[in-house]
Amino acid sequence: MKAAVFFKLSILGVLSIAFVVVLFFLSEHEIHRNNTFIRRYPHHPITKKYNLSINYNSYYIAGFENDHLYLGNTTAPLHLLEVNLKTKDTQHIKIKLDQLDLPFRAVSIKLAPPYFFVMDGTVPCIFRGTMESWKANLWMKDTAYFSSAIPIDSNAIFIRTTSTETMQTVLGMIEKKKRFALQLNPNLLERQIDGVFCVDGTLLVSEDKSQLGYLYFYRNQYLIMNSSLELRTKEETIDTVRIAQIKLSEVNDQGEVKMKAPPLLINKAATLYKDLVLINSPRLGKNDKANMLDQASIIDVYNWKKHTYEFSFYLYNIGRNKAREFNVFDNYFVALIENELSVYQLEPTRFK
Amino acid sequence: MTLKKFITKELLIELLISMCIVLFVYAATSKLLDFENFKVQIGQSPVLSSFTDWLVWIVPISELLVAILLLIPSYRFIGLLSFYSIMVMFTTYIIIILNFSDFIPCSCGGVLEKLGWTEHILFNSAFIILAIICVLYSKNQEPLNSSVL
Repeated sequence: MKAAVFFKLSILGVLSIAFVVVLFFLSEHEIHRNNTFIRRYPHHPITKKYNLSINYNSYYIAGFENDHLYLGNTTAPLHLLEVNLKTKDTQHIKIKLDQLDLPFRAVSIKLAPPYFFVMDGTVPCIFRGTMESWKANLWMKDTAYFSSAIPIDSNAIFIRTTSTETMQTVLGMIEKKKRFALQLNPNLLERQIDGVFCVDGTLLVSEDKSQLGYLYFYRNQYLIMNSSLELRTKEETIDTVRIAQIKLSEVNDQGEVKMKAPPLLINKAATLYKDLVLINSPRLGKNDKANMLDQASIIDVYNWKKHTYEFSFYLYNIGRNKAREFNVFDNYFVALIENELSVYQLEPTRFK
Repeated sequence: MTLKKFITKELLIELLISMCIVLFVYAATSKLLDFENFKVQIGQSPVLSSFTDWLVWIVPISELLVAILLLIPSYRFIGLLSFYSIMVMFTTYIIIILNFSDFIPCSCGGVLEKLGWTEHILFNSAFIILAIICVLYSKNQEPLNSSVL
């Protein structure tokens, strides 16, 4: 009799175990491959090192080399702040251009060590110089207008521009071989509404410049390209908005189209790190605590090579201010928040 | 002598079963009282996150149901079996979390929060053994045994 009961108990036990194991595998599969906006927050993927006051809120990240972070400043276009992330020492750098009588309107400085580039897509012009002298000479002029640009080596600049044929936003590359050449790849960005607002987003370049990317602002997608601008993969984030939710006005007398209502922002900013993509999403996931968005920015981590969602973490505000820009270099995660620079250390086992 | 021995054994079983009832009623109420928090924790659990929506209800409700089954003498045997299988599931869950999942989430609510994960396994195993003992010695074992199982 007892033996029979034992037998039944063990069968019941095995079934119970099997049930939970099946649940586990199903859940894992759903989370990593088929996620419908459920975030997961492991403990301490990044650890705060320090906040450093940098006095202005107009700094942006220009680049990084050997523990040194370089910050550009939108209100002082030819000024760079060099921060040694190890020692916290800062140094001001004054950039010299060989030609200053151009109608500059949107100067941005980006590094591609040992070179640095001073670019203005509204002129359009690009200056190039070495980080040793911090003197730049006019390198490209009038090859192409661009709305955004990041150098990927000494002779190639990844850009976003408007195609003169179709008037749509396209990604391209300005390259200097013997002469300057503009190469556009109109197949990368996919038009959903107007081909301008609906494809708006941000350019991404990995630290070693071998991978390029593009993150759409208004839909749950990002693209990964190789350095010759060929599409490697098109990935979806865990957000569920596939079609840009924007409303546009009719064309007015000046031929302009404007947004009629505030757009639904799906992705705010991102950076590439190894095979990972770190995306700042301003939207709450399914089981997220609602008040977290008042205290932090949420960063979601994806692996584009494995086509998976990995995990998420909080990037905490300083006071009421959210991070306006962030990036990852070596093992440093850096964020610009109001007048401060927040420096974190990555947990290497999480960011493989 | 035999009568006295019989009574103590009976009493012991009663006591053990009451412990099971208290455990489940406690577990269920502490979940329901802090429902939002419980939902967040399940949502963060590596094993269960995809099924949060229905699990947050199924877990406490089934705990209460089992407690009720244990209270009603004629359903006690079924109650014990369910108790046993829930405890096995729970233990499996902890073992999976400790060994196979991406990361280990924050632990459960109430007093049990104070337990570490290994203590938790020991705690659970004790209750599984307890359930087995109760099943083996439960008075209702035979009639139900022949009719239901």
